[in-house]
Amino acid sequence: MEDRKGLVPDSGAVFTFGKTKFAENIPSKFWFKSDTPICLSCGDEHSAIVTGNNKLYMFGSNNWGQLGLGSKAAVNKPTCIKALKPEKVKFAACGRTHTIISTEGGNVYATGGNNEGQLGLGDTDERDTFHLISFFTSQHKIKQLSAGSNTSAALTEDGQLFMWGDNSEGQIGLKDVTNVCVPHQVTIGKPISWISCGYYHSAFVTIVDGELYTFGESESGKLGLPSQLLTNHRIPQLVSSIPDKVIQVACGGGHTLVLTEESVYAFGLGQFGQLGLGTFIFETSEPKVLEYVKGEKIISISCGENHTAMITDTGGIYTFGDGRHGKLGLGLENFTNRFFPTPCSVFLKFMVQLVACGGCHMLVFATPQAGMAEELEFEA
Amino acid sequence: ASEGSEAQTTDSDDIVTPVFQNSPKAVSEKMCIEIVSLAFYPEAEVMSDENIKQVYVEYRFYDVPLSETETPVSLRKPRPGEEIHFHFSKVIDLDPLEQQGRRQFLFTMLNGQDPEKGCLKFTVVSDPMDEEKNECEEVGYAYLELWQILESGRDILEQELDIVSPEDQATPIGRLKVSLQAAAALHAIYKEMTEDLFS
Ligand SMILES: [Mg+2]
Ligand SMILES: [Mg+2]
Repeated sequence: MEDRKGLVPDSGAVFTFGKTKFAENIPSKFWFKSDTPICLSCGDEHSAIVTGNNKLYMFGSNNWGQLGLGSKAAVNKPTCIKALKPEKVKFAACGRTHTIISTEGGNVYATGGNNEGQLGLGDTDERDTFHLISFFTSQHKIKQLSAGSNTSAALTEDGQLFMWGDNSEGQIGLKDVTNVCVPHQVTIGKPISWISCGYYHSAFVTIVDGELYTFGESESGKLGLPSQLLTNHRIPQLVSSIPDKVIQVACGGGHTLVLTEESVYAFGLGQFGQLGLGTFIFETSEPKVLEYVKGEKIISISCGENHTAMITDTGGIYTFGDGRHGKLGLGLENFTNRFFPTPCSVFLKFMVQLVACGGCHMLVFATPQAGMAEELEFEA
Repeated sequence: ASEGSEAQTTDSDDIVTPVFQNSPKAVSEKMCIEIVSLAFYPEAEVMSDENIKQVYVEYRFYDVPLSETETPVSLRKPRPGEEIHFHFSKVIDLDPLEQQGRRQFLFTMLNGQDPEKGCLKFTVVSDPMDEEKNECEEVGYAYLELWQILESGRDILEQELDIVSPEDQATPIGRLKVSLQAAAALHAIYKEMTEDLFS
């Protein structure tokens, strides 16, 4: 047990920004006594953390039972989901009002809002404890989970993608139905390496060619497609204007960020700066390179509803977009929208490992740089 | 800086939480001003003026440096029907011991005895692209009446104010959206100052 005051241990801390419900929404931090996070996810108003010991911690709003704690009361401290302790939790994904998780044994569980069948349980009744989605078996080795407003997705190691929930905008890639309550496979005939569910749109990346496909709500350029292709927005379509190999994609409320081998691209809505393309471009359907970070190697991207975060290979972090509530991690009480990627100076002496952006908040897991453990400090 | 020391508390779930020991400043000892967004009316002259390419917004508050009360960026001039979003919020310290000057300044405004007759004045400024050739130009003003907050006892949440042009203060050219969290502070200041008057 550390007794130096507030000093982050070598194993790192989770830093909270914006309306997390933790520490009265003041920028804060916490850590685990003998455990470290391996997966962070933020929903609209709730958060999930999976640790190296395969435990699941949840906190935040809980109106729909999205914390899986058997009640609907908000929780202001990360709380271990004891019901899942016998299983080793590996991944978690928070949607707007629901949560899905997967275990090492190949089980997938869901809890929370279910108005569009996003829990994958065959009905539209909400749950306040984690329920097993019987569709998945030990044959499905889950590699990634993602959740949108009322959508869920699970990607397997061999590149099979399964989605379920709201399809009102075609955001789970089905042509004719408005929603489905059980997982169904989304395929374009090629194995898939990455999935992201935004609020009302979705995107995935193919393994072999690193191609980007987008589908769902077509407004404001967030699919990155020319207008003549938007009539087919309900099925995954190739974003052919990105020349290099795509590694990751992150879908937010109205915007999309794409990490390629060479650069970062942004498209969609940027009225608050969430595209990071400066003070003159508030919307684009044409993917544009973030020139500002060209000299930096970005290794991870995350989109909240109206903001964006990017981790660099040297452990730095940039944020941009809607600055309200301090969710960009750039100050204690004075906030503003950021239209260019802005380095979070709070983490100068840390190595940022993980980031997750939600509706009005952001979680960052960072470890102190060797011998430089520092207190979280903001300028007044 | 985040004053106060941190101590640690733990709970049964193996979570360590450094807790700030200092209590946050009371709401009656600060106020928060947010410049939310702005739009111009399609027919306004500023829309057709090609010299106006980007704008920012500023206000003045007693001794607070202007660099802290102007939006840190200029944004592209909004297109017809478009809103541009600053979300620029600033907390102003109104500590009764250290900021008597600011409290007196607000009291004077509440009495309408200040040059702007009790209004916080926001200025919309055109920021030239070529700073060497052109200068910043004021293109509009918006006025927020402070008295309404004291009267209603309620903070102002995203209120739309008319923007008027410097030449013709009668014809609105657009709307500026602002928020002001100050009800508790203004109430405390008014009470304290009027008590002083009659004691
Ligand atoms: Mg969210
Ligand atoms: Mg999100």
